Amino acid sequence: MNAKKAKKEKAKKEKGDGLIRFTINGQSVQAREGWTVLETARQYGIHIPTLCFHPAVHPIGSCRLCVVETRQNNLTRVVASCITPVSEGVEVLTDSEEVQNVRRWVLEMLLANCPASLQIRELAQECGVTSTHFTVEHPEDACPRCGLCVRACDEVVGVRAISLGNRGVFKEVTAPYHQRSTDCIRCGTCLYVCPTGAMEQLFPQVSSE
Amino acid sequence: MKTESRIGIFLCECGGKISNRIDLPQVSELLRYESWAHLGTYPYPCLAPGLEAMRQEVQANGLNRILLGGCSSRVMKKRFTKGLAPVGIEKHQVEVINLRDHVAAVHEGSPQELARKAAALIAGGLASLRLLEPYEPVSLAFQGPVLILGNGISGFAAARELAHKGMESILFSKALTPERVLDELHRTFPGCRLFCGDMAVLLREVFTNPLVKVMPDQPVEYIIGGVGDYHLGLKQPDGSVAEVNGAAIIVSLDREFAPADLDYIGGGERVCNMLDLEDRLVEGDVKPGKVLFWINSPEHGQAAQEFAAMAAWRDSLLLVRENPQVQPMVLYPANVTLPLTGADLMEARAHGIGLQSYNTEIHPVVQSGYLSYVSPTDHLEHEAEWDTLVVPGVPGEPSAKTQELLRWLPIYPENGGRLKKSHIKFWPDQLPDESLFFTGSAGGICDLNEVLQQGKKAARGVLGLREKARQGRLVSPVVVHVDKDLCEGCGLCTEICPCGGIEHVKPGSGPVPRETDNHLCSGGGTCAATCPHEAIKILNNTAQQLEARVKAMVAQMQENDILGFVCGWGGLSSAEQAAVKGLTYPRGIYLIPVNCLGSIDPSILSMAFLNGVKGIMLAGCTPTHSCHYHYGVDHCWYRISAMKKLLSLAGLERRRIAVGYVEVNEPESFVGMVESHLDTLGKLPPLPRDDKTRAKLWAIHATMHRPRVRWVLGTSLRRPTEKEFPGSQLNAVDADETMLDVLREEFTASRILKAITDQPLNPPQIAQGMDEAVKTITPLLTEMTKEGRITIKGWEGGYPLYATGKP
Repeated sequence: MNAKKAKKEKAKKEKGDGLIRFTINGQSVQAREGWTVLETARQYGIHIPTLCFHPAVHPIGSCRLCVVETRQNNLTRVVASCITPVSEGVEVLTDSEEVQNVRRWVLEMLLANCPASLQIRELAQECGVTSTHFTVEHPEDACPRCGLCVRACDEVVGVRAISLGNRGVFKEVTAPYHQRSTDCIRCGTCLYVCPTGAMEQLFPQVSSE
Repeated sequence: MKTESRIGIFLCECGGKISNRIDLPQVSELLRYESWAHLGTYPYPCLAPGLEAMRQEVQANGLNRILLGGCSSRVMKKRFTKGLAPVGIEKHQVEVINLRDHVAAVHEGSPQELARKAAALIAGGLASLRLLEPYEPVSLAFQGPVLILGNGISGFAAARELAHKGMESILFSKALTPERVLDELHRTFPGCRLFCGDMAVLLREVFTNPLVKVMPDQPVEYIIGGVGDYHLGLKQPDGSVAEVNGAAIIVSLDREFAPADLDYIGGGERVCNMLDLEDRLVEGDVKPGKVLFWINSPEHGQAAQEFAAMAAWRDSLLLVRENPQVQPMVLYPANVTLPLTGADLMEARAHGIGLQSYNTEIHPVVQSGYLSYVSPTDHLEHEAEWDTLVVPGVPGEPSAKTQELLRWLPIYPENGGRLKKSHIKFWPDQLPDESLFFTGSAGGICDLNEVLQQGKKAARGVLGLREKARQGRLVSPVVVHVDKDLCEGCGLCTEICPCGGIEHVKPGSGPVPRETDNHLCSGGGTCAATCPHEAIKILNNTAQQLEARVKAMVAQMQENDILGFVCGWGGLSSAEQAAVKGLTYPRGIYLIPVNCLGSIDPSILSMAFLNGVKGIMLAGCTPTHSCHYHYGVDHCWYRISAMKKLLSLAGLERRRIAVGYVEVNEPESFVGMVESHLDTLGKLPPLPRDDKTRAKLWAIHATMHRPRVRWVLGTSLRRPTEKEFPGSQLNAVDADETMLDVLREEFTASRILKAITDQPLNPPQIAQGMDEAVKTITPLLTEMTKEGRITIKGWEGGYPLYATGKP
């Protein structure tokens, strides 16, 4: 209900030229209804690191790497920019201390979770993270379980050959019943979108023969 | 779309991933002289702001074709198609050129150098887009009953489901009463007598329902037509053919079980097949005592063993229900899991049915009255007592009916006798609705319940088609189009089509133009590349478009650059994966993605050389099991082989063209292929540009268009592993030499034509121009005159003067 009300109010506000005005890092930007903070930032050339985001599929904000700080009505929140819709007058900070802090922790967790991924290590390096406080349990693991491959297989290809199996710390990318999927068409989309190179190892286990 | 093309070019910066590597302003500059209606550079065309901007440009400039210079078409095209649909842009009007993964990410070199390559790729895309044709799907009627063929039990379930929804069907069956069907049931579904009560209800309903017409099974003479309008020819006992028409076909084929060979066990009456046991059950002639079901014969596969174990379990249940003095036990291999529920297990305990697994590594030994086996739990050998020993039947070949149907329908036997509709696997949106329904245990061993479900599902599929037709939404997507004026009805396309998209014609109807059933067409395109008369075209993916693209690209390439054709699966995926992995390769290769290498017309290869390309590399899937279009990559192999032969006839190096095979996830192999081929070509000079070489290349190109050459090429298309050869050829060398002879003759003929195009010449003059002896060309000249391809314009010094054209 609240969301609906807010939408209506927003619609009223925009009656003018349909533009939503707000600021990112102090720079005033214009967006339209339905855009996300991340999309608007990218349009203005403002860099926000991402991992599980791909333009071909709907964002789900699973990796939390794209966090930004939003300030509105004296309320400060740290949100995932890929799933946060733009709103009038909001103040977005992409590199504040708070954001850096959250991002660093996320990267440390990623480093512990998928230490075998070169891409993750490079990404961490960019943000100045070189080691992790967490224990590395599976040094050969490269998959952050962001589900991008699963979404791509569903939304882009339309076959749903792979899925995320199990829950919590046991979560993994797998085919139903841990058997090589017969629905897989071997198109390689999952390989292409995988942000960490983990699919390369997983592909022979999940793809059709 | 018939209106002039207004192309919008949208270049993507990809947040620096493209714009940092490729000088995009220079790309725009290089494209200045191309014809387009809009050209712009965007930070991220794929995100909401970018799509918004694109929509505005489409509306402001009336764009009707969109070319994106961005990343992977496979992954991103859907996003653009969806985003641009509100402004009337359709799927085929969008082309995505992969600047990121084919240029920016994989090459070293200055942004200016990469800009030249990017501009060449885009120029190719523009040339192809200009030749787009209007796309008007054809509405299909859907009238008449559903034809249920193949004698399978699932046909009855389908017929009932159809009847419930008020749709007529004709069911062809060997057994014409419900009782006969049940009596035969255990031949195809041993152990399913437990379901017979329900089955009897189903069958009675089917046989009495006025909407279902049960007809005696008759030999199939032909099946022609396509979805909505099938014609089935049935051979009558008197030799005539009766035709039955229907809107759809459901093929229901079951696998029959044969009695296993028991001679090695012996034991007389006491040892029997499960099929015999079922007969005894019917007759009520079961001896009391211990009945041991021994699930043996691992050679038929785990699925068959599982099926047999379930059948044994059901038979045990029937046995104890009817004869309380019988004590059954099922001894099954440990690697088979019985899909029994807790309730089943409780029932087994209540009735005293033993369920025991045995270690498969140590073969059980049959003794008189005992069977020793090793238990996987305690590793000890135990002995199971028996008074009657039962072994399961052997899964046999699909029934004889199968062969009749396989001749006409795109259903193929796989290894192990399993039938499959087609092993073609595609993106779901590449194919329209399912229109051929194949059910039954011939497609994979499964039990009765499952098969009946398959029948029901098939019926629902048909009902879905009917519903679509009622709403006028059942449209044929028009993928392949046969030009009736050009088609001579040779039928080569029907022969080689892997998906059944080219319809069959009645036997004995002579050379009539072919029709296509686009509901089945996979768009593989090998038919178009094969057609001797070039009558087939894949709509909006034509040879002409590819030709235009190649020409436009070659015009902008440097003399040492080469063309690379990659198939949309193994080749393209590996090429793009190379970029994702951060591999690099020399920038001398200009990639052109095609659906399948099999869709590349042989004349495309010759045309590229005619336009001066130094070499060609092709990358496809590993033959044969990986090719998504069955044998597309094998077909391409023969076209390349013909091209190689022609190159060597023209005195050029065969190694200028090479093909390689990669799997989806082998970027390193792809890079290796590119480097190796560029290395090979590095040792060769660029293609000579003198008139003589050009004349020869022209002749090669003309040869590739000759119907005779295309026909011989088409009939030799096969898998290189095959050991049988068409026609009178005995072996691989013979077959190859025949091909070479035809090519040599046609190549020489083409050279003669080229020589006399500008002015009439006499034989010595022609021979001199071609560096050939006069006597080698005179027979050909005589023959060509007879055929009317050239004429004698006059006489000069005792020699005839040959010229092109009519006398």
